[in-house]
Amino acid sequence: MADTIYKFLVEPLQYEFIQRALVASIMVGISCGLIGTYIMLRRLSLIGDALAHSVLPGVVIGFMISGKNPISLFAGALTAGILTSILISYVERNSKIKEDTSIGIIFTGAFALGILLVSQLKQVHIDLSSYLFGDVLGVSDSDLILSSVITVFILISVILFYKQLLVTSFDPTMAYIIGISTSLVHYFLMTLLSMSIVAGLQSVGVILIIAMLITPPATAFLLTDKLKTMLFLSVMFGIISSVTGLYFSYHFNFASGASIVLTAVLFFAAAFLFSPKEGIVHKYFRRKRNSSLNLTEDILKYLFNAEEKSTGGNAVTDLSVELSLLESKITSALKKIESKGLIKNEKGNYKLTDTGTDLALKLVRSHRLWETYLTEKNIIDMDNIHQDAEKYEHILSDDLISEIEEELGHPQKDPHGSPIPKKK
Amino acid sequence: MTVITVKNLTISYNKKPAIKGINLEVDEGSIIGILGPNGAGKSTLIKGILGLLPSETGEIKIYGKPVKESLKRIAYIPQKEQFDWDFPINVSEVVMMGRYPYISLFGRPDENDKLIVKEVLEKVEMSDNQFTQIRNLSGGQQQRIFLARALAQESDIYLLDEPFVGVDAKTEKAIFELIKELKEKNKTILIVHHDLSKVKEYFDKVILINQTLVAFGDTDKAFTPELINKAYGGRLTILQKAEQLFKS
Repeated sequence: MADTIYKFLVEPLQYEFIQRALVASIMVGISCGLIGTYIMLRRLSLIGDALAHSVLPGVVIGFMISGKNPISLFAGALTAGILTSILISYVERNSKIKEDTSIGIIFTGAFALGILLVSQLKQVHIDLSSYLFGDVLGVSDSDLILSSVITVFILISVILFYKQLLVTSFDPTMAYIIGISTSLVHYFLMTLLSMSIVAGLQSVGVILIIAMLITPPATAFLLTDKLKTMLFLSVMFGIISSVTGLYFSYHFNFASGASIVLTAVLFFAAAFLFSPKEGIVHKYFRRKRNSSLNLTEDILKYLFNAEEKSTGGNAVTDLSVELSLLESKITSALKKIESKGLIKNEKGNYKLTDTGTDLALKLVRSHRLWETYLTEKNIIDMDNIHQDAEKYEHILSDDLISEIEEELGHPQKDPHGSPIPKKK
Repeated sequence: MTVITVKNLTISYNKKPAIKGINLEVDEGSIIGILGPNGAGKSTLIKGILGLLPSETGEIKIYGKPVKESLKRIAYIPQKEQFDWDFPINVSEVVMMGRYPYISLFGRPDENDKLIVKEVLEKVEMSDNQFTQIRNLSGGQQQRIFLARALAQESDIYLLDEPFVGVDAKTEKAIFELIKELKEKNKTILIVHHDLSKVKEYFDKVILINQTLVAFGDTDKAFTPELINKAYGGRLTILQKAEQLFKS
C-alpha cells in the first residue's frame, strides 16, 4: 500500500518536467483562487470567461511581433484582456445592448480572430491545442518564472488593496462616497484577472480556465462566512485540484485541464452536498431530526396532560387531530418512543414510564414557564401566545429555564391556570 | 448656515424625467423628511444630491463646494435591497468601512478605529452580534448596522433612504433617538420616508415631491392636507386621508 502511494505520488517527482508542472499547478491554484474569489463575489464570472477566450489573439499577435517568449506572451495576453474589458463596458454604455450580450459578442469575436490568426500565420508555430486545453506537463522554465512572478504580484496586490477590493465589491456606492474610484479598482482587477489567466494558460488552457477562477471560490463560499477564510480555502481547493489533475494527467495520460477542472468540480459537489452549514444532505437530516425530536416531545407532553386531567381517550386519534398528522405516523412514533423506554403500552393505552414522566415534567415545566414569561413581559397577546411559546420551548436550555423562573419569582401557575412543575 | 444647495436639478431615466427643476437650500442642524408617492423621485433626489446619477441640468453644492469635493462629509444609507446579504462579511467589518476614509491607502485600522467601531456598535445595541454574518441578522438589526457605519464615518450630512422599512417598532424608536442626537450635534439629516403618520413627530422640515418640488419648508407649513394632496395627486388612500383628518 505504502509502496503504491509512493509510486503514485513521489516517484514522478524525480523528473524535472514534473517538478516544473507541480510548481506551475500550485501557482495556478494561488493566483486563480485569490482573483476568482473577487470575480465570484462581484458576479463577474461571465467577464472572466470572456477575458480568458480573448487572450488568445493577444498571445498570437504578441508572438508575431516579438517571437515566442514569455514577455510577448505576457504583454499580448494582458493587452488583449484589458482591451476586452474596456470594449465590453464601452458597448454596453453606448447602446441598448445589455452586458451579457455585449460580453458574448466581443469574446467570441476575439476568440475567432485568434483562431484565424493561428490558422493563417505559418511563420509563428503555435501549438493551438496546448493553449486551448492546457498541457501542464509541457511547462517550460520560462513559463514557470512568468507564472511565479504573476502569482507573487497578485498575492501582494490582494494584501495591499484588501480594503479597496472589499468596499468596492460589497458596496460600490460607499466606495464612491469615500473617494475610492470603483472603475479604477475594476480595471485593476481586470488586469490581475488577465494575469491570472496567463498564469493558468499553460496548465489549464483558455477554455477551462474560468473553472479555476470560479469553482474553488464557490466551494469555499459554501463552507465559510468570512472573506479571509474564503480566500484561503479557495486557494487550497485550487492547489489541491490542480496538483491532483497533474497526477492524473501524468499517470493516465488525461488532458491536464480537464482533469484539474473535474477535480475542482468534485470538491464543489462534495461541499454542496455535505457542507455543515449549507450542505443539502445536512439540511435534510437536520430537518428530519428536529421534526422527530419535536414530535417525541409533543407526544410526551400530551400523555402527561392526559394523565394530569385524567381525560385520556384514544391517544392515537387524539394526537393525530391535535398535531395534524396521519394516524399511521403517530403509531410509528409511539412505537419508537416505547422502544426508548419512555412510554409503555397497556392494553392499547399508552402510559408514561417513570423516565418518561420525568422528561415530560421537564418539558411541561419549560413550556409553562415560557408561556408565563411571554405573558408577563407582554411580548405577545394572550390569543397567540400558545402557538409562539410552543415554537421556542424545544430549544430552551435548563439554565435559561431556571433563569426565567428566577426572574418571574417562582410562579405556581401558568397564564391558563395550570400548575408549573418544580425542578427535580 | 446652508449645507446643501440644489439648483434646478433635473434627472432622467431613458429620457423620461424622474425629477424636474428641483431647487432646495438645506440648513445645518435639522431633520428633513423627503415625502411623496411611489415613483415620485424621492430616492432619485438623494442619489442626485450625491452625484450618483448623471443630471441633465442643475448644480449641487455641499458647503458651497461641488459635490465631488465634499463627498467625504456625507454618510449615505441606501435601501436594503441594494446589498448582497450573502456576502462573506460580518457586522464589525461592515461598520469598519465607515472608518476607511480615515485610513491611508495601504493602511490597516488602528486602535482608535477599533475603539470607534466598538462604541458605535454599543450605541446601536449590536455589540453582541459583532461577529455575525449579515444575512443572519433581523431586518431591524440590518438597519442598525448601517446606521452604525454612518455614525463611524463621523460625517456632517446623513442621507437615509427608507431607514424604517422592515424594521420593528423598537428599532425604529432607537434609530430615531440616535438621529435626534445627531441633530443636537448640529448635523444635517435627510430621510426618505413613506409613513405619513409620524411626519410631524419626526421632521423639522419636509420636502414634498412628485417629480417637481411641491413644497419645502417647516413641517407645520409644508405638511398641510392641501399640499399633501397635491403631492400625492389624489392618490392618497382613504385610510391616509382619514388619518390626516384625525390628526389635524
